[in-house]
Amino acid sequence: MPTLLEAPPESAPPAPHIAPAQPAPGISEDWLALCIGLFVFVLSLGLLFGKDILGWAVTASVWTNPAKALAPASKSYSSLPPLASLAATYVFMLVVLSVGAKLLHADLKRFASGFTVVFALSYLCWFLGSWAYIAATPDKRQALKIPWSLNLTNESGFIIALLAGLVVGNFLPGVSRFLKEAIRPELYIKTAIVILGGFLGIAALEQRALATSVMFRGACAIIEAYLIYWPIVYFVSRRYFGFSREWAAPLASGISICGVSAAIATGSAIKARPVVPIMVSSLVVIFAVVELLFLPFVAQHFLYQQPLVAGAWMGLAVKTDGAAVASGAITDSLIRAKALATSGVAYQAGWIMGVSTTVKVFIDIFIGVWAFILAWVWAAKIEPRGGEKVRARQIWQRFPKFILGYVVTFLLVLAIGAAAPRLVPKIKASMGQANVFRAIFFVMTFFAIGVLSNFRKLWQEGIAKLAAVYVLCLFGYIIWVGLLISWLFFHGVLPPLVKG
Amino acid sequence: MTEPRLADELHKMKTEYEPLLPIESKLIWYTFGTGVVLLALLVVISRAFM
Repeated sequence: MPTLLEAPPESAPPAPHIAPAQPAPGISEDWLALCIGLFVFVLSLGLLFGKDILGWAVTASVWTNPAKALAPASKSYSSLPPLASLAATYVFMLVVLSVGAKLLHADLKRFASGFTVVFALSYLCWFLGSWAYIAATPDKRQALKIPWSLNLTNESGFIIALLAGLVVGNFLPGVSRFLKEAIRPELYIKTAIVILGGFLGIAALEQRALATSVMFRGACAIIEAYLIYWPIVYFVSRRYFGFSREWAAPLASGISICGVSAAIATGSAIKARPVVPIMVSSLVVIFAVVELLFLPFVAQHFLYQQPLVAGAWMGLAVKTDGAAVASGAITDSLIRAKALATSGVAYQAGWIMGVSTTVKVFIDIFIGVWAFILAWVWAAKIEPRGGEKVRARQIWQRFPKFILGYVVTFLLVLAIGAAAPRLVPKIKASMGQANVFRAIFFVMTFFAIGVLSNFRKLWQEGIAKLAAVYVLCLFGYIIWVGLLISWLFFHGVLPPLVKG
Repeated sequence: MTEPRLADELHKMKTEYEPLLPIESKLIWYTFGTGVVLLALLVVISRAFM
């Protein structure tokens, strides 16, 4: 993940048919995320064979007594002291991610030291977010013996991590530099999404008709992102703000489709200078943070009776993978808490987040196709250059590889559960353990996004005009059209209720 | 690219405007029109069959 205003990430493929660029060093973050996510997923499946491989991982429950907050994920490891469980989790993640950092040709020593701080601060935020007065839902207050709580669920830890990251990124530049090698929000969230596939596979197993419906409706999101958002943002950028084509195309992709990846893919497709998509990407991250801080709460207030509309809205309105899935996760917790508090309705966890993720994943899938189309239009019609051809293989080059991992974990869980229903309880337990790591990758993503969002530095670069287009298009068009489309497709479709 | 030059470049765009080419207008309006039609179709399908 680039820091602001630096060179494009190594995973960005070369522009079409230019003399081959130097090959990206080592593995790309996309492939690495896929590998790490699948590794954790496969280890968790040890339970199917009677081997509890990941049960030592640390979990944090809602607490009033901090000494009782942490515990190993599995009862098989109940004799393991909580701090030992935490240490083991840290060591496991350090080793796995250090191998990954080595493959990325990162500075290992700096990565390890930076990661130690990132893990510690992120987990501290997660721990604080689990404090009962912040996290407890109304039904839990009596058992916890507390008279009140903010009802934010323990996923408020994500917001605390984001705020902590913003403090570091904007006021502690020395710390930011120290952490730089380990600030990789794209890697962390993509790994989390691969693991999430298995978790959603369980949900789909139990509610197949609903899952199919969600998939279809999620696919419709592609239409909106590419065919309805993009042309209007491009038109506004060109016609009313006077941006050149070189700026307008990546800007339209960044605002409409998928933020960083789409801006960089589009910039590459139309042969824009690298600084253009990088500036756009920086802006996308900033605004995604702003959306993350308030959209879930807006969704909770107005849409708690239409939870899947809220989930789809997050997927359509929030423009980076990390922030969109994270918004979905927070919205999931907030809406379930409010529905329970106001009407006693207990929705199953994960469906709202699942809709956000599904919508975002479907949008991601077609980045390569859209970049190919734009490359062809630019090369053939707008800026033709003799003898050059646009090749279809760049569709595969730009395809976000981590999505393959998401599909594999999802389908594998579905297939095993469908073929052997007696294994479903064990699969659920497996995904519960994998989910421990998903949550940790999530909270590190939030922290890292915050660290990367240096508002002051961007302002100094003179991005006011870019920001003006972004504000107008995002808050004047995309968010509202996204809400309308979400309503059209998901109105009346409700998540299943908690059994018992 | 230094800070002042990028800010200057963005500032100058309004005065050194690249007019929309016919192909750009086609890209914009055909894409949008296709999107609206497909969206209407998908809403009908989702309501009828899902």
